Amino acid sequence: MSVLYQIYAEATHRWVHSLLLFGALFIAAALPVAFHTTGSAAKRETSRLMRDLGYNVRILPKDAELSSYWAQGFADGALPEEAVQRFKTADDLSYNHLLAMLAGRVEFRGASVLLTGLTAEVAPQTKKKGSMIFEVEPGTVHLGHAVAKGATAGEEIELSGLKLTVAAVLSEAGTIDDTRAWVHLSDAQKILAMPAVVNEIQALECYCADPGVDNLERLREELETIVPEGQVLRMDAAAEVREKQRRLSEEYFELLLPWILAACAGVVALLTAINVRERRAEIGILRALGHGSGRIASLFLLKAAGFGIDAALFGFAAGSWLALEFGPAVFPVTAGKIVVEWSLFSYALIGLPLFAAFSALPSTLAAVFQDPAETLREEGP
Amino acid sequence: MIRARSIEHTWRDASREVRCLNGLDLELEAGEFCCLRGVSGSGKTTLLLALGGMLRPTEGSVQIGDEDLYSLSSGARARARAREIGFVFQMFHLVPYLTARENLLAVRSKLGKPAREARADELLESVGLTDRADHRPAALSAGERQRVAVCRALFNNPTLVLADEPTGNLDPDSAAVVLDLLTQYTAQGGVVLMATHSETPESRASRTLWLREGTLHTT
Repeated sequence: MSVLYQIYAEATHRWVHSLLLFGALFIAAALPVAFHTTGSAAKRETSRLMRDLGYNVRILPKDAELSSYWAQGFADGALPEEAVQRFKTADDLSYNHLLAMLAGRVEFRGASVLLTGLTAEVAPQTKKKGSMIFEVEPGTVHLGHAVAKGATAGEEIELSGLKLTVAAVLSEAGTIDDTRAWVHLSDAQKILAMPAVVNEIQALECYCADPGVDNLERLREELETIVPEGQVLRMDAAAEVREKQRRLSEEYFELLLPWILAACAGVVALLTAINVRERRAEIGILRALGHGSGRIASLFLLKAAGFGIDAALFGFAAGSWLALEFGPAVFPVTAGKIVVEWSLFSYALIGLPLFAAFSALPSTLAAVFQDPAETLREEGP
Repeated sequence: MIRARSIEHTWRDASREVRCLNGLDLELEAGEFCCLRGVSGSGKTTLLLALGGMLRPTEGSVQIGDEDLYSLSSGARARARAREIGFVFQMFHLVPYLTARENLLAVRSKLGKPAREARADELLESVGLTDRADHRPAALSAGERQRVAVCRALFNNPTLVLADEPTGNLDPDSAAVVLDLLTQYTAQGGVVLMATHSETPESRASRTLWLREGTLHTT
């Protein structure tokens, strides 16, 4: 008789015990899946909000005067153009979406325009993502709404002697960007006569999961090793509030989950102990029938693991359903981002049987080391 | 064929030691039906468990054929137990969630699946339980359960059957059926050592041994 059949027969015979075991493991699967699914949605939502708020870190030349920077809209001094490329090879950075820029004032049709040259975004090697800003081709210009002065897309214009084709006239943003003329970095370097340099690198600060860390301090420390000739400014923004809210919900889950898992492990351990106790005579007789420790152990460990697989399947489905059904009510901001986290499925399918088997291990060892003679002697004349 | 030499066993717990087997010797030959008698607590069950490789005696050796049971590893001893020894208990000790047939199939055996199933069916038929093969122990009478237990003990056609008060919970008719089965087994060359309080089995026995003060006596 196969072990699996024997486990099946025993599980159906003691169905109340089996139901309780399944219930404990089901909870151990469903709640973490539900929590993680809503948590992941909150994380994605935070990232989106932070992206929507734009670059929130500025790297300027170390000697740039900040009062002048804010007054003119660009920094005095310069950084080598290749400085931004140094971020490419760095690991575990708090910076992402790095955008090298060279800005300066020029005249266009009688008005002061903030000429801004840029290249493609640079991302650290482990954080490659889509660009947050449009790319500008050499020889073209994107005009801000306030400085277009009647120019239209496709028209050829001249900026400080350089002929450029208007690629687009941007819609009104209500910010300093309305006064910019966006050109390729190489064109800006020609117009401003500042070859191979930039005067600002904009970036997006990555979310920091460690509440004990001063983010600005960390940004500065990282910059010191990569671009020591720069200084960093960090824009406090609404994203920070959102970040704190998410951190709060994560902490809540992190606090709750170990207790839930510990309780489930305790219930599984207790139920296995009861099962071993109930089956003392059976263990004794199986020994008398010539079965060894491996068979006895597998009766309990495979049973726990088997229930773990079942509970993982049903628990994943239930946890995902809980997140989709009730997540939007609990986390209205992230409602649209809650989706089934299929990556959790494999974790549940592998992790839960192991969790169940480990929980059942102490009682299984007790069964293996139980003296069959003791049990069988109790029944003797 | 079965030799126990200088068997001693002492049960120990926190407060006391009880020496229940005291330098006991026993030899059983093929075809022998031996009754083992003694007062409660005299050590009959302990002796059966020691002879069956289930309880390592404090001293002494148990030999079945050429094999010294307690010089074997626990795995090898388990295999030897499956091959050479059958147990029958007063309380039947059938696995409650398995049917009568499945209880027989639960015996460790070298036979392939079809051969095992055929052997189980043959044994159940021989004791008139074919129609009860798919019933669980709870649905069987005491006599039927004990017949299943005897079939299970005989499944691998062992050298020795150790029966611990197998008729103790049975009515006289059921007890007679069980004794018939064991008698038939000895007629085919098997060895039965049966612990009992009852005088009835003695009529079937080739000899009766009394266990007193840890040693065996013929009267």
